[in-house]
Amino acid sequence: MAKNVLLVDDSSTMRKIVSRSLRQAGLDFGDIFEAGDGLEALDVLEKEAVDIVLSDINMPNMNGIEFLREKSGRDGIKDIPVFMISTETGDDIIGEAKSLGAVGALKKPFTPDKVNEVLGPFM
Amino acid sequence: MPPIERYITEATLEVFATMIFIDIIPGEPLKGQNDGIDSNLTSMIGLAGDLQGVLAVHCPETAALGITGAMLGMDVAAIDDDVRDAIGEIANMIAGGLKVALAESDIATELAIPTTVLGKAVRTSGQAGVFRFIVPFASPVGDFGIELQYVLH
Repeated sequence: MAKNVLLVDDSSTMRKIVSRSLRQAGLDFGDIFEAGDGLEALDVLEKEAVDIVLSDINMPNMNGIEFLREKSGRDGIKDIPVFMISTETGDDIIGEAKSLGAVGALKKPFTPDKVNEVLGPFM
Repeated sequence: MPPIERYITEATLEVFATMIFIDIIPGEPLKGQNDGIDSNLTSMIGLAGDLQGVLAVHCPETAALGITGAMLGMDVAAIDDDVRDAIGEIANMIAGGLKVALAESDIATELAIPTTVLGKAVRTSGQAGVFRFIVPFASPVGDFGIELQYVLH
């Protein structure tokens, strides 16, 4: 069954690129929702049937780490898997993201092949 | 001293090869004020930590439009929010590549959120003792430059 995806990034360009990369990677996905920061993402998760979240880390208002922390405390949405998509690839920040529930990370810049490799097993 | 100019060049080549699909050719880094890049749009991102400074992407209009069009897979006719956002994201990814390279030399940096300004030949300036260089790049959509102004602690 096709998965519904939520893209969280303050860059509308990056949301378009990730969306295109999902298509180019040949992954089976359904609806694609978008949010510009963690606050908007929480709002979308409360209202829509989202199966997987792809989130940037470095964002205004609520960053990716704060988003994970807030999401982990909300019963209805805490188990939705989150992948971090970011230039932030240090062990410390990715380790913190994983300790808060992130299931994987994709480093920007990326190719559709890399998207397939990282996300394929979850789609 | 880590080879920071090379890190910038390599990070830029990686971004263009993986996400923009435009062949670019780096030139020799320029350290004077007269860099010859006639930019209309500049995206900047602040760096903090062991290396403090500003990384800036300087583009003439033709390059900004061509790069954004290639990035989004569509024709872009004028500088708009998409162009500002796209060049800002390029600054973000190049700074991210620099951060990763510096981390291998135990130099920790943090990235701010990019800011894009429109204006002719915008350049950064800092206090005395700040290092500054621009790596020029040639591309089919026009020349552009990546500037780094920094202090290494």
